[in-house]
Amino acid sequence: MKVFCVANQKGGVGKTTTTVNLAAGLAKVGQRVLVIDLDPQGNATMGSGVDKRKLELSIYDVLLESASVQEARVRAERAGYDLLGANRDLAGAEVELVGLERRDKRLRSALAPVATEYDFVLIDCPPSLSLLTLNGLCSAHGVVVPMQCEYFALEGLTDLVNTIRQVHANLNPDLQIIGLLRVMFDPRTTLQQQVSEQLKAHFGPKVFDTIIPRNVRLAEAPSYGLPGVVFDPAAKGSQAFLEFAREMVERVKSM
Amino acid sequence: MRVLLLPGWLNSGPDHWQSRWEQLYGDIRVEQHDWHRPLRGDWMAQLEETVLATPGPLALAAHSLGCLLAAAWAGLSQHTGRVHCALLVAPPDTQAPALREQLPGWSAIPRQPLPFAARVLASTNDPFCAMARAQALASDWGAELIDCGPRGHLNADSALGDWPEARRWIDEQRTPLN
Repeated sequence: MKVFCVANQKGGVGKTTTTVNLAAGLAKVGQRVLVIDLDPQGNATMGSGVDKRKLELSIYDVLLESASVQEARVRAERAGYDLLGANRDLAGAEVELVGLERRDKRLRSALAPVATEYDFVLIDCPPSLSLLTLNGLCSAHGVVVPMQCEYFALEGLTDLVNTIRQVHANLNPDLQIIGLLRVMFDPRTTLQQQVSEQLKAHFGPKVFDTIIPRNVRLAEAPSYGLPGVVFDPAAKGSQAFLEFAREMVERVKSM
Repeated sequence: MRVLLLPGWLNSGPDHWQSRWEQLYGDIRVEQHDWHRPLRGDWMAQLEETVLATPGPLALAAHSLGCLLAAAWAGLSQHTGRVHCALLVAPPDTQAPALREQLPGWSAIPRQPLPFAARVLASTNDPFCAMARAQALASDWGAELIDCGPRGHLNADSALGDWPEARRWIDEQRTPLN
């Protein structure tokens, strides 16, 4: 089992879209996948076709150790993977975990019993550096960073890289940046091309080869409660995520 | 001292003593995202955020499920030192079968002593909590219990008006902290 956080300290960069579509893409190429929604907004839950208002148990219960992963997970049937969902209850974990022991390693402990059941675990982290994000980072082998090729994108990246460095040094020596994924890419925009080239020049092989284009079908899919990869498999964005899933499988082989 | 109002399940309507206090004294209502489906973690996070966003010493005035919210929050937050006192009106017995089914996330009632002065007001014919249960909760919380007689759930239907006798206790707690 390999565990990856999808994280960026900037909001609205396509984190959730990346999580659910990479998950659905990995499922399509035969991988066993668990998605963990660590954001109290519950967008990855809804985007997987699971109604956050009807969750009986959620990642919140797992973090508070009142339920196991096996008890709290649900099947996102059409998306093709298992899900540990989230709703606003999860915001309470920020208050409730503070005074507890092993507060940043709760998720890591909870995942151990299901290690043989999955090839990939993908964690959708909230944009703030919170105790929730820390639980994600402490559980993970690596971080996938979706980013738009815009000028200010690099600023958020500096903060994230520093955070990852600190977690790596103090809490989780396994943690590394697996790669930067260029998302919502519009090749007609000169600036985007320039930033994309700068990223390649600066981060070299850490930048994934696959580029996810700006695609209206990907944007529409969440309102149908499906990852784009399932909602419209033929769309350019969906094809790109399928290609990205294959690239991830290859990259993990070399880890 | 600012007073934070913690309404219970489904919020408090305009004739409720909490809404009257909001109008009369400018007390601050802790607004919840979802009054119909009260998620314990969500409610607690909202209370925490309201506490952090409100400067100065605080008093809590809770009704019904708001009392259990106050007790749950008090057991976990790092900021309970901000609260000077809590008025806990008609705490519900969420372990009773009818409520347990409707509010599953609240069935574990926090019973630890509260880290601030507290007073529980209970009625002898509250449909959501027997007086003996209210007494036991008050005792565990280290709170003084006041028997309000047969006044139902101590809500808008109890015709309490502005309920000055309940407010007086909060005002009396306004001695400066040493």
